[in-house]
Amino acid sequence: MYEKWIKLGLAKGLEDLEIYATRSRELSLSIYEGKVEEYSKSSLHEVSLRGIYNGKFTSISAENLSDENIDKLLNRLIENAKSMTVEEPAIIYEGSKEYPDLVEPLFDFEAVPFEDKVNYVLKLEEELKNCDEVVQVESTNYGETFVETNLVNSKGLNLSRTKSYAYGYGFAVFQRDGDIKTSYKVKAELDFNDFDPVKQAEETIKDGTSKLGGLEIPSGSYPVVFSNEKFASLLSAFSSVFSGQAAHRKMSALIDKEGEKIALDNITITDDPLYEGAKFRYGFDDQGVACRTKNIIENGVFKGFVHDLKTAAIFGVEPTGNSFNGRVSMTNFFLKPGDKTFDELIAPIKDGLYITELQGLHAGVQPISGSFNLQASGFKIINGKVDHPVKMIVVSGNFFEILNSIEGLGNDLHLSELSGYGSPSVYVGKLAIGGK
Amino acid sequence: MITKDKISEILKAGVSTGADFAEIFIESTVDNSMRAMSGEIESATTYESFGAGIRLIQGIDEVYGYTNDVSFESLKQLATDLAASFSGKPGLVLPLGDERPYTVQIKRRMGDVPNEERAAILKKISKRISEYSPKIVQGVMQLLEGEQTVMIANNKGVYQTDFRPYIRASFIAVAKDETGMQDAYSGPGARAGFEFLSTLNLEELADDVAETAIRILGADRIKPQIMTVVINNGFGGVIFHEACGHPLEASSVSKGLSPFANKIGEVVASEVVTAYDDGTLEGAWGGMNSDDEGNAPRKNLLIENGILKGYLVDYRNGKRMNTEPNGSSRRQSYRYSPTSRMNSTYIAAGESKFEELISNTEYGLFAKQLGGGSVNPATGEFNFAVMEGYMIRDGKIAEPVKGAMLIGHGAEVLMNIDMVADNLLLAQGMCGASSGSIPVDVGQPAIRVLNMTVGGGGQ
Repeated sequence: MYEKWIKLGLAKGLEDLEIYATRSRELSLSIYEGKVEEYSKSSLHEVSLRGIYNGKFTSISAENLSDENIDKLLNRLIENAKSMTVEEPAIIYEGSKEYPDLVEPLFDFEAVPFEDKVNYVLKLEEELKNCDEVVQVESTNYGETFVETNLVNSKGLNLSRTKSYAYGYGFAVFQRDGDIKTSYKVKAELDFNDFDPVKQAEETIKDGTSKLGGLEIPSGSYPVVFSNEKFASLLSAFSSVFSGQAAHRKMSALIDKEGEKIALDNITITDDPLYEGAKFRYGFDDQGVACRTKNIIENGVFKGFVHDLKTAAIFGVEPTGNSFNGRVSMTNFFLKPGDKTFDELIAPIKDGLYITELQGLHAGVQPISGSFNLQASGFKIINGKVDHPVKMIVVSGNFFEILNSIEGLGNDLHLSELSGYGSPSVYVGKLAIGGK
Repeated sequence: MITKDKISEILKAGVSTGADFAEIFIESTVDNSMRAMSGEIESATTYESFGAGIRLIQGIDEVYGYTNDVSFESLKQLATDLAASFSGKPGLVLPLGDERPYTVQIKRRMGDVPNEERAAILKKISKRISEYSPKIVQGVMQLLEGEQTVMIANNKGVYQTDFRPYIRASFIAVAKDETGMQDAYSGPGARAGFEFLSTLNLEELADDVAETAIRILGADRIKPQIMTVVINNGFGGVIFHEACGHPLEASSVSKGLSPFANKIGEVVASEVVTAYDDGTLEGAWGGMNSDDEGNAPRKNLLIENGILKGYLVDYRNGKRMNTEPNGSSRRQSYRYSPTSRMNSTYIAAGESKFEELISNTEYGLFAKQLGGGSVNPATGEFNFAVMEGYMIRDGKIAEPVKGAMLIGHGAEVLMNIDMVADNLLLAQGMCGASSGSIPVDVGQPAIRVLNMTVGGGGQ
């Protein structure tokens, strides 16, 4: 049917047309107090129509795939393109010369009996409830996704890929002496047999109980170490400053800084779609461009923005294979680790903070200015050792300043399974802390 | 659209194995977005959401399925598949009744407005922002227009449609000087047609956003401390939305997780606080003619003079709590099962004057423009960002300060509100939770809060 729509679009006067289509099936279930309370399944077929008319590129995403509606939407696409005035490259891609040879496992989660999936979450809930300080497990959840993507265009490109994964977590509420904390640890797996509810519950309990009994600390300036997971969250929140799209929109502070030193010598940040240690790997992006590994910051020097077809043409460089979900974004994006063990990393700190939780990442981060003010919690570091937990505080700083103030990098690189953002634990130097 | 007879047949398949509740939600939504940067139309895109969701409930156990194949055969098959989760006697399907009539005030539907007309406005306003000052390096105006048409029917005989036109204009300015870069944003919206734009003073909004970006660019960072905070009206209401609104949703309350669970009739806030969630406001961004379970929206009293009066309740959580639903069940689209959510939530006007809040504060922070925030309803810990703030010194507004973050516990902060002004104003936002991202209004008059923890990067 895609070929038919392409023909129709070209007949309407589109210079080029591309169909980006996904067929997906999802299943999720949620248990509460030993029984399945919510179960959901879906089946979707979605299509993006991307066309060039009068030298202008635009797109439409469609869910009503009747021929009649597609006809209407192609007219709409032309109307939308007509209203555009900006002079920019409009590209539909004929394809890269070669693509990385990725052989990804494709586990059939749908073949696993429903009962086994229920048993996994039941076991997870049961294990969580074994902890005396767990007063409630709000819900324990399992979900699986199968998605098949097709990319077909009038330049002759015809690519496809499939992706299949599942995830699970239990959301537990912990209480001790009136103090309430929550914790959950999401595990994503490419093979159902890799789920380990006992270990997952242990990690959740360890995290939840460790937060209980936190003490207040006075406002002030403290040496701060971010956990690997949380520094990865910061990288994620600020990743748009490295996007060619933001640069083109004059919304990145790194414009005209390619080739310049923007970080300390030991800082290297990589976007690696092929990284062996990542859960997901990418052979081509959503525009059909072959993905490749590149350093964004190499030994402190800013090597360049990541691009889609349009921004690469504007900047006069090769596309980097970073067009995903309609924007320029990262694949597996991580700060390279150093050689310090965690104990060595915090050893020099007499009176500091180890931050293990950040909240408000959508509101408290300003990628354009680099500043962040985030709700946080973690642990006091006293005389080089992790001490008692610390209650809710605000940690404030500036991303660009941190790149130049980092005091140490741990050797404990960790990539978020679902997002692909990664980091070791990082001692960032002193930051302003709002407390009591 | 599928006929009522066919819908009944699908619902029958849904209750055939013991479910006591079956519901079908069919949606067709078209969203158009046009964006201009510094005087040029840079993008014009259309997004369609088209599909159906079927929900079956037995007791409080729920199964939900959705698809964008809305043929009768596909939906009946989906209902049959979902019903396989239950076992029991077939349930009843009452004949579908007549829908509650409603009117939609809309003068110009998006399809009736030529692209040239909106493009001309966007070009002019984005150019105005970008040319406001040499310090402004980018001016953006974006227009989002959408029309959501929904049909909800269930085995209790409910049959209801709603038509929800949305429009939101966003203004962004980016300022730059030798010290760095700073952006500012504003985004008024309504449940209305294109005519909404003529109710706005676009030039003033453009100048304001540019002026704000420049002002924040030059401001110092605030030093972290505990202090009195005067939170401005309008988007300032995000504090109540996070600190209290989310924890009053039945999805938090019904499992006893919320700090406000089992506290109806108790004092939960200072006596100057009265708050509502209102889904009935004509043309309001957060309102509607029918909630996503087919119920009429209501004006729900949440807190009266500090005493907790009510929660926001959907059908399923209401069953768990033994409480009637009150028109608060919402979802982003057919891809989500509905749950209790906010509509237009606000602290009611008080008796003080805004000037009195400032003049009675010897030292504090005036949080003029707020960003978003978040809350963990189980712990009550919340945060929200201050985009533009000013120090208050000797009862007067003094120097500007940059981005701060305010944090606290919902239950504590409500007790610490000691003054409420009379200048109630609503502002528009998007709220994300388990049933997706939905348009909501937040609102309040200016309020004064004692002893807030204020974070910021100042030394």
